[in-house]
Amino acid sequence: MRVAAGVDVGSTQTKAILMEENARPLIMARALVDTGANVRKAAEHAFQVLCQEAGIHAHDVGFVVGTGYGRYNISFGNAQMTEISCHARGAHFVFPNTRTVIDMGGQDSKAISVGASGEVLDFVMNDKCAAGTGRFLANAAEVMGIRLDEVGPLSLQALQPVKITTVCTVFVESDILSYLAQGKKGEDILGGVHQAIAKRTVSLARRVPIEPAITLTGGVARNIGMVRALEGVLGAQLQVSPDAHFIGAIGAAIFALEKLDRSFESDIWSPEHAPHSGN
Amino acid sequence: MPHTAGIDVGTGLTKAVILSAGSNGEPPTVLARALTRTGVELEKAAARALEMARAQAGLPPDAPCYVSTTGFGRYSVSFRDLQATEITSAARGAYFLFPQASCVLDIGSQSTRAIHLRDAGRVAGFKTNDKCAAGSGSFIARAAKYLQIPLEQVGELSLQAQNPQPISSICAVLAESEIINHVSAGVSVEDILRGIHDSLADRAANLLKRVGLGSELTFVGGVARQAGMVKALETRLGLKVNVPENCEYVCALGAGLLALKRMVAAA
Repeated sequence: MRVAAGVDVGSTQTKAILMEENARPLIMARALVDTGANVRKAAEHAFQVLCQEAGIHAHDVGFVVGTGYGRYNISFGNAQMTEISCHARGAHFVFPNTRTVIDMGGQDSKAISVGASGEVLDFVMNDKCAAGTGRFLANAAEVMGIRLDEVGPLSLQALQPVKITTVCTVFVESDILSYLAQGKKGEDILGGVHQAIAKRTVSLARRVPIEPAITLTGGVARNIGMVRALEGVLGAQLQVSPDAHFIGAIGAAIFALEKLDRSFESDIWSPEHAPHSGN
Repeated sequence: MPHTAGIDVGTGLTKAVILSAGSNGEPPTVLARALTRTGVELEKAAARALEMARAQAGLPPDAPCYVSTTGFGRYSVSFRDLQATEITSAARGAYFLFPQASCVLDIGSQSTRAIHLRDAGRVAGFKTNDKCAAGSGSFIARAAKYLQIPLEQVGELSLQAQNPQPISSICAVLAESEIINHVSAGVSVEDILRGIHDSLADRAANLLKRVGLGSELTFVGGVARQAGMVKALETRLGLKVNVPENCEYVCALGAGLLALKRMVAAA
């Protein structure tokens, strides 16, 4: 039995996946830790938790691929891949019919056009502004004094969503506060907030051709309100895995598995994709 | 002697200025200034600021006063006689204080405005950035919060920077991680703050260049109080930057001056 790991060091959370070689690779273990200020430690911690979960030693892991913004800080990794490649590959693994990935992470959002075998055809990215990221929603939750995992379900109860004219995380705070002062309901405010972010994210995604099937990945995919709002704006259904926030790590683990086979030669180790201009 | 009041209902603060028309061709004089946090009840904030200013001027609370409002909340004030955009008001106020300046930069808590002036403080053209917090005072307020520095100290600290560290994040929220990285890398608070002022000055300079810079700039709004920001602007633009003593009141002053003109015309 040969195993390999993928570690996705995100701006907010670090995700790790252990995979076993198989006709269809199997996920053996998952680990999720907060990234915090020390990126290197977060990666080590996630890897440690991962090995403990699976009951194996670190040296039993044949190959480790790092991805995410902190991938170059992984002390134990064997190789690095961009999160674009990893999300495409991971989404293809979970939903082989994926042709578009919308990834909403802690501090960025992106849309990836994916080929039939999980390769990246094109992508657009917003890492310039917090609109459409987990950070935006966390901020909104904080202003409203509710837990982050409550905002999505609450937003679904909106009957008359308010109009939110800004997607700036800072400015939306004053919008929220003034709606609260006007006596608007929390769910109607959140409904408006989700609507605004969904529109913004879809207009970003439209810059790569959006082809079905569309898979939503990243931590924000756990927010059911955002899933529904995006579906409303897109006019299409989204595929959302329970492992949505692990998709990048899953992709990295699959690349790591492929790398176990020394005879395996591919162009995946080519220089990183140059990112498109964001926003 | 009748009075006028200019009330600037801004997103962060509401400012009121009470003016008295000058007799025998003398310029108008400022009798009082007051400011209060705007909060969410705009009309109440305006009434509060006016009441405070009246008290300061020694006027009875019911003294007749011609009121002109400006700022984002100008239409929410039902007791106004007149309203003017913050562009017109800033231009008028700045021209009154520094008649020789060719352009005005106004950085408030949620927007940045660059105004090119023509004769008598009238607006020749303007550009604003109010889409996001990137170029506004709230960017600095956020950063100060992350650094746990009182906002009043930001300007002086920034002035003491030895080796300013640029901030590449445009987003006020995403800049937090960058600031934290700087802190954990041992960069001094002074150098971080100056880096923030430098990047704000860059964005303001771009806006100013698009409206036409001219030879002299008047910098108004609350952010003009920060010495480091003024220095950063002077360095970027290479021209004289006037900062009025009561920089956050310039829009209110301009509104008050417009009210005075209207009142005189009506009389």
